[in-house]
Amino acid sequence: MATTTATITLASTDLISDELSLTTTATLTAAGSSTGLTGTSGLGRKKLASGHAAYTLFDGDDYTADKAHKLYLKNTSTIAAEYFEIIVNSEQIGRIYAGDWAFIPWMANASTNDIKIDPSADDMVLEYMLFTDD
Amino acid sequence: MATTTAAVTLTSDLLSDAMSVSASTTCMKAGTTADGLDQMEYGYVDLPTGDEYDLVASTPTASKGSKLYLKNHSTDETYYVAVTQNAQAIGRLYGGDWMFIPADFHDAAADIAITANGGTNKICYALFHEGTVLVTT
Repeated sequence: MATTTATITLASTDLISDELSLTTTATLTAAGSSTGLTGTSGLGRKKLASGHAAYTLFDGDDYTADKAHKLYLKNTSTIAAEYFEIIVNSEQIGRIYAGDWAFIPWMANASTNDIKIDPSADDMVLEYMLFTDD
Repeated sequence: MATTTAAVTLTSDLLSDAMSVSASTTCMKAGTTADGLDQMEYGYVDLPTGDEYDLVASTPTASKGSKLYLKNHSTDETYYVAVTQNAQAIGRLYGGDWMFIPADFHDAAADIAITANGGTNKICYALFHEGTVLVTT
């Protein structure tokens, strides 16, 4: 069985009076089981050229619904004001600004539940990887 | 300014070559490198089945650089919480899974809501933000 792990560390010495230091690791498994995820898009980069608009990164139709897919996204920009808006279907989930990353569970529970990205400027580059559950 | 870092490492033997991807970011206020997110809500709750609950009771300022960490501490692999925003299904966090997402809170309806499935789920969360619209009593 393939083993895929995701580890996050959140740390701050000055946000609160006590030091914040949180590390946790998840082994990515299929929905409701201990079997590891078996598919991935691989690590990719996408440059969105001029005339940008919301771009469909992953189509909900292409993946099994109601599963435990996981999506990694990173905004590679170094310009602080540049962001990608992450959209599921037509709902704006949030913005990843320059250097930010996100790790998102994705149900793909309807054909319309596409993952879309909308850059705030031309020629921004997104790094991404999808781990799929069937 | 407050400095909070969020780092991720993804490793896998799914591919022919071993994969290891790492990224780290300092959680900044929207559109700046001069000022970090300086407010946080942090909690641990038992989430019973049956109803959908808003995870964050207050309303953080819209369209900022807010970040949400959420982990399902349930040890039963069949348990999960369904995560939605503004009634839009996003994904499922099974026992042991975590997520770290930007949270837009673009209007009052854009709450992050969670629903437990399988049994009572144990949820840990942290929201890093730069201000909230407090709800009057």
